[in-house]
Amino acid sequence: MKKKVSRLKVPHNKHTAGCASVPVAPPPEVVLPMSMHSGAPAEPVVQVGDYVRVGQLIGKEGGEISSPVYATISGTVSAIEPVKLNTGRTVTAIRIKGDGKMEKDPNIQVPEVHDLDSFLAAVQKSGVVGLGGAAFPVWKKLDAVRTNPVHTVLINGAECEPYITSDHRLMLEHADQIVKGVEYLRTYLKAEEFIIGIENNKPDAIAHLEETFKDDPSVKVMAMESVYPQGARQILLYNATGKVVQPGQRLASLGVIVINVTSLAKMAQYLTDGMPLVDRCVTVDGSAVAKPGNYVAPVGTSVGYMIEQAGGFSEPAGKVLLGGPMMGRTTTTLSEPIVKATGAILAFNQKDSAQMEPTACIHCGRCVENCPIGLNPTAFARDLEIEDEAEKVAALDKHNIKLCMECGCCSYVCPAHRPLVQNNREGLALSKKAARAKKEGGK
Amino acid sequence: MEQLISTSSPHIHSGASSRRIMLDVIIALLPASVAAVVIFGMKALAVLAVCVVSAVAAEALFNVLVHKPQTVGDCSAIVTGLLLGLNLSTNVPLWQCAVGSVFAIIVVKCLFGGLGHNFANPAIAGRVFMLLAFSAVAGGAMPAGAELATGATPLELLPAGVSDQLPSLWEMFIGLCGGAVGETCALALLLGYVYLVVRKVIKWYVPAIFIGTVFVCCFIASGDVVLALYEILAGGLFLGAIFMATDYVTTPINAHGRMLFAVGCGLITFIIRWFCRYPEGVSFSILIMNILSPYLEKWTARKPLGG
Repeated sequence: MKKKVSRLKVPHNKHTAGCASVPVAPPPEVVLPMSMHSGAPAEPVVQVGDYVRVGQLIGKEGGEISSPVYATISGTVSAIEPVKLNTGRTVTAIRIKGDGKMEKDPNIQVPEVHDLDSFLAAVQKSGVVGLGGAAFPVWKKLDAVRTNPVHTVLINGAECEPYITSDHRLMLEHADQIVKGVEYLRTYLKAEEFIIGIENNKPDAIAHLEETFKDDPSVKVMAMESVYPQGARQILLYNATGKVVQPGQRLASLGVIVINVTSLAKMAQYLTDGMPLVDRCVTVDGSAVAKPGNYVAPVGTSVGYMIEQAGGFSEPAGKVLLGGPMMGRTTTTLSEPIVKATGAILAFNQKDSAQMEPTACIHCGRCVENCPIGLNPTAFARDLEIEDEAEKVAALDKHNIKLCMECGCCSYVCPAHRPLVQNNREGLALSKKAARAKKEGGK
Repeated sequence: MEQLISTSSPHIHSGASSRRIMLDVIIALLPASVAAVVIFGMKALAVLAVCVVSAVAAEALFNVLVHKPQTVGDCSAIVTGLLLGLNLSTNVPLWQCAVGSVFAIIVVKCLFGGLGHNFANPAIAGRVFMLLAFSAVAGGAMPAGAELATGATPLELLPAGVSDQLPSLWEMFIGLCGGAVGETCALALLLGYVYLVVRKVIKWYVPAIFIGTVFVCCFIASGDVVLALYEILAGGLFLGAIFMATDYVTTPINAHGRMLFAVGCGLITFIIRWFCRYPEGVSFSILIMNILSPYLEKWTARKPLGG
């Protein structure tokens, strides 16, 4: 019997679900970090002063796992310089001063795809990465089919983070691209079964896709319970198929691939018209935003410009973040660029940004009860107090710190406002560091 | 533009707070407190008031003396004082009530590091301390207006079997019998139980398993349903099962651990009551299970997804 693994009901706050996506006016400038994906950063192939057009390659892949970066507006490269991102990392970024014309690169052509190799090569060129947030290059994910036959493709349209509705809008507005994406995966990956998992708080999207795929028995639109974090890979996989991926195991070895619905659509778009990933739909919302909505913007547009497009601040903002409120990251500067995987910009007023002081743990067990993986966050907090480093890591590993996906449920429910998921991140970092050191020492 | 705040996710919170939980427990204890005063008169009010005031004062003073941040605002001392008071009878001199309360707060809670760090339930440990130091804590006192001011409680009479000396089951249910001020009215305690379950402060199964285990054991041992019903209504079983066996700090953190804890409490209560003929089964069972709590937690840890 399947266990009930996720149960946390967070307020959905999907205020923008009815807001059709609208393109923003061309921004005066974009900043394109060479690392908007997991893996090696891309390497700039343009120079300061070069004139670039939309869709033109400006950063080539910098390693085996990497992803190319394309100019997202037309204009002049004004700088290639290190930029500190809100992830805390400093990466090389290409700054383009826009000319407002949004001129397309004339060299863009529809890629020729006739077999698995050419298909994967095209996906690689598309620049598409996991757009739900993971930012893992999609071609590399699909590449696993060479060693493991893929039977099921799980299309992630859960969008469980509160506020964000960009995937929701895509499913309503661009179902044709999802259809094409499914066709490509069926043809080249030889996948037989497609499950589109959507939280049941989006009945219109479920109905629309059911109608779209009504003549295709291999595609199943699955209404999932609206519980956070339904869209987390491990949780969606379990709830949709009953399968569980072990740590260190590749998902593909189970014969399954999980792909975000927007990633699939963007991949299909490139294969159909040759335009790589240069823009995306971003939900702009939060208590300090005047006109919340869904805005299609060039990647690299600044957060400040996006908020301006959404009517500016309605009141002074205390906190601005990229991503959803459960896992998104704050930025302290409005010049922060949106990257490929940015699904939302949220600005909260001072009141909603207030921090609560932690008090003593009262052992209430809510963190344990609400952990979708079944971990005990209080155990990690205790482990971190161990002084001996080796013993500390051993204790963390014994309590399965590696399984923590940092979803934040524990901190969300904690009545003592303890920084539980924050502890877990510290523990995860220590555990990873120790594992790396061990691996290198063993060589 | 003012400085933007940078914090780690999550950026929203359920709104739950420890203080709110404690307030919920206090609200859930109100029916029993009102019943105590109705049944046992103003003396009961005096017991409750002395316990609450001395508990809060002890914690406040302790924090001042050891230069710790003031914690009385979390309302947990009120809960401890109120619970201890409900566990005492009107026969207990008020100064003893105060001493027990101070012991519960200072020795059992504060010296271990305050809220969240004590291994035993302060109110129970306070009651057991008073039992050993001053002998009687629960016995003796009869409802206000009874013919005799003192007498044997149902729990003391039960070992002799169901007899005419016992109040009727209905009287037991609404609390018209001798005992500690807050333990006799099962009806009022059940109201508190429903409130705590609805507010999701406690899980329904912990009190249910505790009481159920005692009932089943008594029924098996005696073969008499009526006697088993008397057993669960007598003494502090409802009070202990609903309000003390569900204490977060001193019970396992996980669901299965808590279930096992409740079974253990029920078994030990039954053994103490049935074989020792001793009327302190509930207190001692919870205290013993408090000590076992970390082990229960370890033995019943959930297997994580993918682990």
